[in-house]
Amino acid sequence: MIVPVFEVRDVTYRYHEVTALDGLNLTIMPGERVALLGANGSGKSTLLSILDGLCFPEKGSVAFQGEPLTENRLGGEVEFDFRRRVALVFQNPDVQLFNPTVFDEVAFGPLQLQWPKEKIRLRVNEILEQMEIAHLKDRSPHHLSTGEKKRVALASVLILDPEVLLLDEPTAALDPKSESQMIDFLVSCSGGRKTVVTATHDLDLVEDIADTCHVFQRGCIVAAGAPSEILNDHALLLGTNLIHAHRHAHASGEFHSHPHRHGHGH
Amino acid sequence: MTRGRENLRGVVERTLASFVDALEHAFYAEELAKENGVLQKLDPRVKIVAILPLILIAALARRLWVVAALFVIAVAVAMLSKVPLRMLAKRVWLSVLTFTGLISLPALFLTPGQAIYTLPFFGRSVTAQGLRIGVCLIMRAETAATFSVLLVLCTPWSSLLKALRVLRLPIVLVVILGMTYRYIFLLLRNAHDMFKSRKSRTVGRLDGREQRRAATASAGVLISKTQQLSGEVYLAMRSRGFQGEVYVLDEFRTGWFDWVMLAVFVTVAILAFWFGR
Amino acid sequence: MIWPAYDVGLLRMHIPDGYLSPSTCAVLYGTAIPFWYVAFARVKRLLNTRLVPLLAMVSAFCFVIMMFNVPLPGGTTGHAVGVGAATVVLGPWASMLAVSIALLIQAVFFGDGGITTLGANCFNMAIVGSIVAHLVYRAAAGRTAITSSRRVLAAGLAGYAAINVAALFAACELGIQPLFFRDASGAPLYAPYALHIAIPAMMLGHLTFAGLAELFVSGGVVAYLQRTNPALLGQRSSARTDEAARPPAATTGWRATRPLWIRLALLMLLTPLGILAAGTAWGEWGARDFSDPQMRQQITAASGNIAPPSQQPRGLARLSSLWSAPFPQYAPPFVRRPAFGYVMSAVFGSGLILGFFLLIVWMAGGREAEAPTTSA
Repeated sequence: MIVPVFEVRDVTYRYHEVTALDGLNLTIMPGERVALLGANGSGKSTLLSILDGLCFPEKGSVAFQGEPLTENRLGGEVEFDFRRRVALVFQNPDVQLFNPTVFDEVAFGPLQLQWPKEKIRLRVNEILEQMEIAHLKDRSPHHLSTGEKKRVALASVLILDPEVLLLDEPTAALDPKSESQMIDFLVSCSGGRKTVVTATHDLDLVEDIADTCHVFQRGCIVAAGAPSEILNDHALLLGTNLIHAHRHAHASGEFHSHPHRHGHGH
Repeated sequence: MTRGRENLRGVVERTLASFVDALEHAFYAEELAKENGVLQKLDPRVKIVAILPLILIAALARRLWVVAALFVIAVAVAMLSKVPLRMLAKRVWLSVLTFTGLISLPALFLTPGQAIYTLPFFGRSVTAQGLRIGVCLIMRAETAATFSVLLVLCTPWSSLLKALRVLRLPIVLVVILGMTYRYIFLLLRNAHDMFKSRKSRTVGRLDGREQRRAATASAGVLISKTQQLSGEVYLAMRSRGFQGEVYVLDEFRTGWFDWVMLAVFVTVAILAFWFGR
Repeated sequence: MIWPAYDVGLLRMHIPDGYLSPSTCAVLYGTAIPFWYVAFARVKRLLNTRLVPLLAMVSAFCFVIMMFNVPLPGGTTGHAVGVGAATVVLGPWASMLAVSIALLIQAVFFGDGGITTLGANCFNMAIVGSIVAHLVYRAAAGRTAITSSRRVLAAGLAGYAAINVAALFAACELGIQPLFFRDASGAPLYAPYALHIAIPAMMLGHLTFAGLAELFVSGGVVAYLQRTNPALLGQRSSARTDEAARPPAATTGWRATRPLWIRLALLMLLTPLGILAAGTAWGEWGARDFSDPQMRQQITAASGNIAPPSQQPRGLARLSSLWSAPFPQYAPPFVRRPAFGYVMSAVFGSGLILGFFLLIVWMAGGREAEAPTTSA
């Protein structure tokens, strides 16, 4: 019997009179590549925070590898272990890059986990090479482009070799080149061992990086399935504000309105 | 004292200019710290132990010639560290001269002593003692400022902070200072964008009260953003394993060059202290 | 002497290197350190793990605020420090640390303000400023609702008071330099202006410009937060559990101690009068009195019929040229120990400011009936 990585049962989370999650149920198995699809404000980011043990639901339960994930249980050694195994890449890289240099940033996690200093130096340099950002080692975060920041953020979590990778809008605000680099990277890093959960509203990403999609709307999951099913269900996508319909021109010269996604030639 | 509305338009520009200046200064400092000069090659801890006493002595010495000698040494070190003298003159020497010069100007006349020059109309005279005080004050300020700027410009900020632990600065302060530095630039950029967008949305001239309201509203937005950011960064820190303990990892290595230079600087400091008492 | 104040940047309170003697710098560092230590302990107790990001952010905020040019009535501009806003939002202890950190970065990285004088600058602006802002805010805001307009006024006053008291301390530190630190020829070694120049010069600029800038920024921030995010203003009192435990009727706190403050302020204000009242107490003579025949008779009479020296003592001549205005006939007593006179002047100045704010608070309090127990 394989234990699910995450088991979310009936979770409700309210924040400042807004219900972010409403009776949500979700199971994620080890090695799965999951996409959480939904427009902004549909609850994806909140769920990721809950999965990462940063906030806790008022109702319902969350279990990681069969063990309940609650505020009381986290702390001390248990928390160190959890933090090493589950990693979250935040949507806003400026929040995640809080150290004065890139080197310090990537070294932060291992330092917290009290690795020996020589090992940290070695691993940091290794991973900077891997992510092709070694030349940015002594740079300050405010001198990096958004693409570079996101790569540093990724490097800073990958150094701990987590089992679970939670990604919040990894391609948001990226220029096309950086975006394609990111996608390449995401595809390559999700081997059979890692569980990857990506929250995004960018539909072009989904086919490449996920095997299962869950569609969010107003704090609930309204649909789940393989990417091919979900992406072809236009009514669903329209209803959940993942695509829009407005007047636009076709190459042939026609000018009409139908549901479509930008950035996808047709 | 009324300078009219014309100048108020300049207020926003001036604030914007000071933001941009700060950002550029930081960038410039990072570039300078990568150059191949004497100071850049030294271990930051050695630099602090070597230069800090010189700053103290320059600021506090009683003999003018000692201060002047230290100034010459500072200029020599600057040249050896590939720090352009023109930049030093513009950024440091000129502003210190203006500020301290203006402050000490009255002292030229007010200090009792032998008069050496009398102003034609006012009947007030410049005294030798007054002149001496003014020159002393200016020299001290210039020398201390030059050494400080050299120390800071030739060392990357985060290395400088880590090296400050040699002075027994608590680690948590080092970490906070590093984070403050990092986020100063984020907030500066936000403030810059706020001011710029306000400026572009304004048609015609705003009067003082409206400009003031704009400035205080920006301050309010900034403090809200500050609180929000701090909460989010806290979560980001937790997410990477932070439970309250802070650590720093430094890459300092001292070689023979560091020890030689340290000896040189310490000797200079001891001599300056001895003669400047 | 009135300073030219066109660019009030010149009137910033940041004392550069070279203006304070080694002992003054050391004493002020020594005074600041215990405050930093206590502030850190208290903030850590309150914030625990959130300490690092919160302090870092607020310090960054203070630093950026210090760069704002705030337009003032009359067409000039001033700079605020942000100590008023930081104290109101975070409380005095966190504010002390945040402003100190901002000042440190300003001094070390940007060269604004000296390194030897960092202790002094932090003591004046961060420590004294936060304490004064806290006291004035608590006194003036009372227990009104968080969104009341009285809080805005209180925050503004808190900022104004903080800056002016800080400026007073700075002026005193600078002003005593020529008194104690002189070289062999008698010329001042460090800051050359005695108290009677330093205090009016600094106070004028800060009472009018820098203080106003602080007032607007502090008041403006509170007004903005009242509209957009009142929770931020409430966290200050909710984080302090001792305040919640206090009994509702004000048997402790401001109202109970107000009579004491008033008496203290009156005493401080009356110090120079005490000097005037006694006529010519022994020793209270100016340098000129030694040449005036009538005064000589008085001195003889008061000194057990021993005639005073025919010429003014050299030391007296030298020192009396330093101190003249603002109370010319009533020069401070104990000329042999002029330090005492200067301390009196500083006390008088503080009394002035304290009295001013008691007046404001009394006026503001008179308009509102004493509310029974509302949430702080």
